[in-house]
Amino acid sequence: MAALQDAAIAGVAMSQQGDLSDRTQASVYWECVLAALDDAGLTLADVDGWIGPAPEGPGLRGTLPGGAIADDIGHPLRFHATSAIGASSQSAGVGLAAMAIAHGMAEVVVIPTASAGRAAGYAGSDRAAAVEYMARLGSPYEYLWGTTRVADYAVLARRHMHLYGTTEEQLAEIAVAERYGATLNPLAVMGPRGEITIDDVMSSRMMADPLKLLDCCIINQGGGCIVMARTSRVEELGRHRPVVLLGWGEGHGYLDPNRAPELTSFAGRLAADTAFGLAGVRRDEIDVAGVSDHFTINVLIELEDAGFCEKGEGGAFVEGQALRIGGRLPTNTDGGFLSSSHAASCGLYTMIELVRQLRHEAGPRQVADAQLAYAHGVGGVSHTQYAAVLARA
Amino acid sequence: MSTETTWEGFTPDITPGHEPFWASVREHRIALQRCDRCGTFRFIPSPLCPRCWSQEATWTPVSGRGEVYTYTVVHRAPTPAYQAMAPYVIAHVTLEEGPRMISQLVDVPPEEVRIGLPVELTYRDVSPELSLYFFTPRRP
Repeated sequence: MAALQDAAIAGVAMSQQGDLSDRTQASVYWECVLAALDDAGLTLADVDGWIGPAPEGPGLRGTLPGGAIADDIGHPLRFHATSAIGASSQSAGVGLAAMAIAHGMAEVVVIPTASAGRAAGYAGSDRAAAVEYMARLGSPYEYLWGTTRVADYAVLARRHMHLYGTTEEQLAEIAVAERYGATLNPLAVMGPRGEITIDDVMSSRMMADPLKLLDCCIINQGGGCIVMARTSRVEELGRHRPVVLLGWGEGHGYLDPNRAPELTSFAGRLAADTAFGLAGVRRDEIDVAGVSDHFTINVLIELEDAGFCEKGEGGAFVEGQALRIGGRLPTNTDGGFLSSSHAASCGLYTMIELVRQLRHEAGPRQVADAQLAYAHGVGGVSHTQYAAVLARA
Repeated sequence: MSTETTWEGFTPDITPGHEPFWASVREHRIALQRCDRCGTFRFIPSPLCPRCWSQEATWTPVSGRGEVYTYTVVHRAPTPAYQAMAPYVIAHVTLEEGPRMISQLVDVPPEEVRIGLPVELTYRDVSPELSLYFFTPRRP
């Protein structure tokens, strides 16, 4: 019987992160694809599966990405799929790719993402244009009132603080812990700025009360890629220890905040329970975590929904730098979206960092003897989510 | 109560099935869909009752009263029109009839807003065709 563990992550790569407005999106995309295949010891000749968008270009490339990619690489694909979990769509593609490989529908699957150039909309380098584009993403029942993505998450934070006594200082702990990881990550955009303190977060500019500038992810460009293959093939290639999925789950729950039954817990619980159930792993066995951190409050809500602590106890859970490398549950050790990169389908970098940790290739960021990792990605305002338990095979 | 006012912010894209809601706003008496089978009110407009899955519903006026479920004070606003309004309060309000509804909470200093604050709907005519709805603290 096919099992998720029959597929493994074979290669990973990331480009420079930051301002790539002088490059084309396609050049960054292919740089990442070729580098991840090289990391795996494979070439495009081995590839027969793909996840997500083709590189940008004219015509129907956006609508029919599988065909566009075949044009680019010179041979057809046996498998193409797209996930729709917002910024976690490509990382959620790891689950789709594992299922395809385990069932023999593909041998080698490429999962890339990239943003660069001077594109319009949220992927561009024009901050004001990106903010305006994002402001109208919701329905008129939201955007009329001057919502922003920060405001969308600020109301979650305010409700959480009201119900559970969560404090702004506790949220700041998350930003501080992640920045420390960024200072140890040469690719992290905010790494060169150095460590920050809780006071730095608390005194940063108010964006949407109670979230301040340093509670928010950065806006930047960059790319990355994951390559997956049969676990036996990764072992034969011998480049890296295979990293496998032990469990996978998704939770798709609520789009319009007017309709969500509550705003402090989402379908992430469904995703996590499915993933941990399939994996047969306990929460306290996880060595390192990677969870979507568009804002500090996300991390807290996701860790609660994932079951690392009870609902409402997230504030206490993250205190004392528990998420820092060396802490109780090192989380987003690369610096996350807050301090490393928030480019394109950025959840892919969350997964790439966990792969580096489980390979024991994370350098100064290495979590000692990491064997099991937990990934949790959200799209939108936690509308739709995935959860994964990963293992060093 | 209503006020004639200018509105430089976004205007709504009104999609099929949503027209009766905006017509009720224009009449300064918001009506929501109420399921003909189970009686549940719902917002935002949608073709199916999420509780009993009936497609039959009647647009039914609501009291306009509710209390603040959560809120934020926006300092970093998205566009010049909203930047001119900032800081402004976005409130999520639980209506007496059950659904939650988002709008700006006006006529109150941001520092006096709290979860649980009793509020009610108020309306502003922003063009000959369009009215918008806001929340304001409920008078005793």
